[in-house]
Amino acid sequence: MNLLRQIWIVSIINFKSLPHRIWQSLVIVVGMGCVVGVLLSMLSMTEGMHRAYLNTGDPGRALVVSEGSESENNSAIPRDQARIIMDAPGIAKAADGSPLADPGINAGIPVLRLNGAKAYDTLRGFGPKGVKLRPEFHMVAGRMFSPGTRELIVGAAAHTQYQGMNIGDKVILPDGEWPIVGSFATGDLLDGQLIGDTETVMLAVRRKAYNSVLVRLQSYDSLTTFKKALTTNPALSVSVERQSDWYKKISEGFSTFFSIIAYGVGVIMAMGALFGCLNTMYAAVSTRGREIATLRALGYGAFPVAVSVILEAMLLSVTGALIGAAIAWSLYDGVQDGFGNNVFKLTVSPALIGMAVLWAVVVALLGGLLPSIRAARRPVVDALRAT
Amino acid sequence: MRYFPLVWAAIMRKPMRAILTLLSVMVAFVLFGLMFGMSATFALVEQRAHADRIYSGARFGGTGMPVAVVRQIAGLPGVKIVTGANFLGGYVKDPKQRSFVMLPDRQFSQVFADWPPTPAQWQALYKTRNGLLMSQRQARMWHKKAGDTFTIVAPATTRADGSKTWTFQIVAIVGDMPQAIGGYNFGNYDYFDKSRPLSEQGKVMEIDSQANDPTRSAELAALVDRTFASSANPTQSITEKMAYAIGNNFGGLDINAVIRDIALAGLFMILFLVANGIAQSVRERFAEFATLKTIGFTDRAVTIMVVLEAAFPCVVGGVLGVGLATYLARQLPAMMPPGFGIPVPTMAPWVFGLAAIAAAVVALGSAALPALRLAKMDIATALSGRA
Repeated sequence: MNLLRQIWIVSIINFKSLPHRIWQSLVIVVGMGCVVGVLLSMLSMTEGMHRAYLNTGDPGRALVVSEGSESENNSAIPRDQARIIMDAPGIAKAADGSPLADPGINAGIPVLRLNGAKAYDTLRGFGPKGVKLRPEFHMVAGRMFSPGTRELIVGAAAHTQYQGMNIGDKVILPDGEWPIVGSFATGDLLDGQLIGDTETVMLAVRRKAYNSVLVRLQSYDSLTTFKKALTTNPALSVSVERQSDWYKKISEGFSTFFSIIAYGVGVIMAMGALFGCLNTMYAAVSTRGREIATLRALGYGAFPVAVSVILEAMLLSVTGALIGAAIAWSLYDGVQDGFGNNVFKLTVSPALIGMAVLWAVVVALLGGLLPSIRAARRPVVDALRAT
Repeated sequence: MRYFPLVWAAIMRKPMRAILTLLSVMVAFVLFGLMFGMSATFALVEQRAHADRIYSGARFGGTGMPVAVVRQIAGLPGVKIVTGANFLGGYVKDPKQRSFVMLPDRQFSQVFADWPPTPAQWQALYKTRNGLLMSQRQARMWHKKAGDTFTIVAPATTRADGSKTWTFQIVAIVGDMPQAIGGYNFGNYDYFDKSRPLSEQGKVMEIDSQANDPTRSAELAALVDRTFASSANPTQSITEKMAYAIGNNFGGLDINAVIRDIALAGLFMILFLVANGIAQSVRERFAEFATLKTIGFTDRAVTIMVVLEAAFPCVVGGVLGVGLATYLARQLPAMMPPGFGIPVPTMAPWVFGLAAIAAAVVALGSAALPALRLAKMDIATALSGRA
């Protein structure tokens, strides 16, 4: 109790003297602010992309692709196989008794970014059950495409990244121009994509096979039944995965690259901030030399003095981290962005901010430790005599 | 230079502060060097791109174009020579360790004569049916040398016998290219093609052509796309210059702006830190500066001394930091997990030049206020210790 009281008193005295060392103290605040600002700005992209992928995956749905495929694009499911898949047990049934399953198509179509750069966007095909399978899907404006016609609908966020993605615009496909007749939202990756009628799109891009089959599982546990039926059928060579696991896997492959770069840059900058922190805390200890010696002469222990130094470093470092996080958050959180053929919102999540604060605490601990030992060890008489 | 002993004494007055400041400046310049080194790599790739080469692929994706398209493009006016290639993507032992092999026909070595493999190495490849030219980065990644076998499991690319395992004989280890960030491998088109199931034979994924007139390659690219627009195999063509232009890489991300912002954040951090150190050092020696001015030192001389004191950590830290960045740039590929490509920073002369300018800006910027304060000082007050 006495020890805690001492720590409390020494720290309060210490914090009260902070305004006298304002510029020096700001070195830690600015340093940590820069580290966290840069780190979170970079990670907002990984996090945003990650979330978009995770949102797209529903644990109640399963995705069937050709065996070993790592993307829907390089998977091919011939029509006869698709029929066998949709008849398999474990699939939920619609009111009329038909399976809630939809064979889909994925085609990359050349588009222009807003800045004129060439890019690809994803054109998906929805069959008769495409919408029913996706309760998250709703129209925002215009109307749904009519099955069998050469019409498309566009995700509500596509126009933030690509040219010609509004209702009334036309998309050039091999057999002519397809008008965009409506705009939809799903709150996930599909918001950046185009959708048309599966069979009509297949004819246009001259595909003979579907890319994948999406099914709604009867129950969460039906995956085992469904998977067993497909993988033991010699007529099929397919992989089955819970849709949420599928997107989680893809997202991890995607985000590793940026995470490594972001954390690499973050660690280098944090080292710079650490040296700055050491510098500031040594200076603070030497400025406070007399005050510390007086406290020690009055009977305060070495430990509370050391703790007060580390607490000061933490206060400054965490303040800096929070300012950095606030800047990254206000600049980037919720901003529509695109990378590759993904359209998503940059995200500075509470978890990321928590991690940034943790970084700040670690830097403060490392940067405050040695100066705190010096402060605690300095002979009282010497310190009192020093000018 | 005659001020040097005075400046040195000022720096050595607080050796710990000098060392810590130096270290944080060094860290900031490691970051600066690595970041702009990457920029330099992108610029180099863009600059080295050949104006006469055109890349064509299937406009709407799919599993490849018939090899007949290669011959049709070769027949277009203005085309000098055309090559077709296929790709094999898969993993080595563990699905996370990804690798790929490009399998071009024999015209490839003429279209890409400037690429690292020598004519003798190409000949060696042609002589061994399942031969492979492996680049040094790939060889380091998989611990391979000439004469070894290299096995890729390709889940989406079956052989005629149904297996998905592709084994190659490494005939030579070849040089790397900056644009192939994870290294590259070349195999024989014929071996790959004849090993596929009959239904998949005779296809190419990419067609590269060379224009007779480099100034008209953009027109030629448009001509190729126009020729095939209403055929069964619409193409999407792009000149090498455009393909390697920074705006078209990195999926729409303005990578140079990102690099610049990160480097600037690092610089701002140390500008604040160095400026504080100098301000403090000058404050501590205010009376001494007053003495110097009293015995005849001019404002100019005093300013020079302050600038020199600020320049010391910037110059030494800058040189050490950029030096360390140069060293790290070389080690970077080996430090990354297998299959993870990171653009290897190129330490172009302009990177060093930019670092020198940055160091000068930080030194002058941090010396400006203290120097101004010294110039305006009231000598009598300062001498009396009341300032």
